Amino acid sequence: MSGKMTLITGGSKCGKSTFAESLFSDFSGEKFYVATMIPSGEEAAAAIERHRKNRAGKGFATIEKYRDVGEISLPAGCGVLLECLGNLCANEMFCGDEIRFPNEKILDGIMHLKNVADRLVIVTNDVSRDGILYDETTELYKKNLSELNRKIAEMSDCAVECVFGIPLIRKGNL
Amino acid sequence: MIMIIGGQFQGKTEYAKTVFGFRDEEILDGEKCDINAVFSAKCVNNFHKLIERILEKNEDPVRFCERLCGENNRAVIIMNEVGCGIIPLRKNDRILRENVGKSGCMIAKNSEKVIRIFCGIPEKIKGDLP
Repeated sequence: MSGKMTLITGGSKCGKSTFAESLFSDFSGEKFYVATMIPSGEEAAAAIERHRKNRAGKGFATIEKYRDVGEISLPAGCGVLLECLGNLCANEMFCGDEIRFPNEKILDGIMHLKNVADRLVIVTNDVSRDGILYDETTELYKKNLSELNRKIAEMSDCAVECVFGIPLIRKGNL
Repeated sequence: MIMIIGGQFQGKTEYAKTVFGFRDEEILDGEKCDINAVFSAKCVNNFHKLIERILEKNEDPVRFCERLCGENNRAVIIMNEVGCGIIPLRKNDRILRENVGKSGCMIAKNSEKVIRIFCGIPEKIKGDLP
């Protein structure tokens, strides 16, 4: 028996994180925030700091896990917020000299989280609608992430698109 | 306030003209209008371009939008959605993209209706379609 799973997607700065966090406001069990962004460079550090501040006081324990989310050990019945799939996909793809195809591994990892958590919320990015054709590697990333988004939406009980701060329910119920 | 959003060339301006009856001269172009004129304008098009110009003046677009929402709460704001792609390589492009997102959240929060135009077809994002 696995808990409720929700996927949150949308573009840059559209309120995904704030909305994702709000889905745990009534959750009384232990809550974990799985942070997938590698703190490299000034902008990443600033983004991480901003997210930390927003999350402060909301009762999440932070687990930094840039890859291998299937290895995280968690207490049964907890709440998990994973942010974000876009970073996880990039970190798994671009690790070492050769580009890897990480989708199966990531989906197994997500399934592991879903099985242990009573509530799982995954934040992802909508990266394929700017109409620009990028280099081969970036296109491969777009393809992998978009495929992950589709598969995770399928596994999820609920899928939400955030548009300028407004959550639109695209599948199921909140 | 009413917000009309969507990708480029989807029919946002045409929709504003048809549904709200704006004449061309009533629609300001955010790319080249007098910035202060937006505080009394009926309709501002290309609002994402205005955000770029505010950033060029080293001002905070979110604060600007907050003031706009307070002073001109009957305006119709038309802007592109620019955040649904790959993070841009150039830092200034990244800053602009993030500020369009944050400014859009501010306008949307203060709007009674948010309408997304896709292929000329309106979709309600907030409030009912007019």
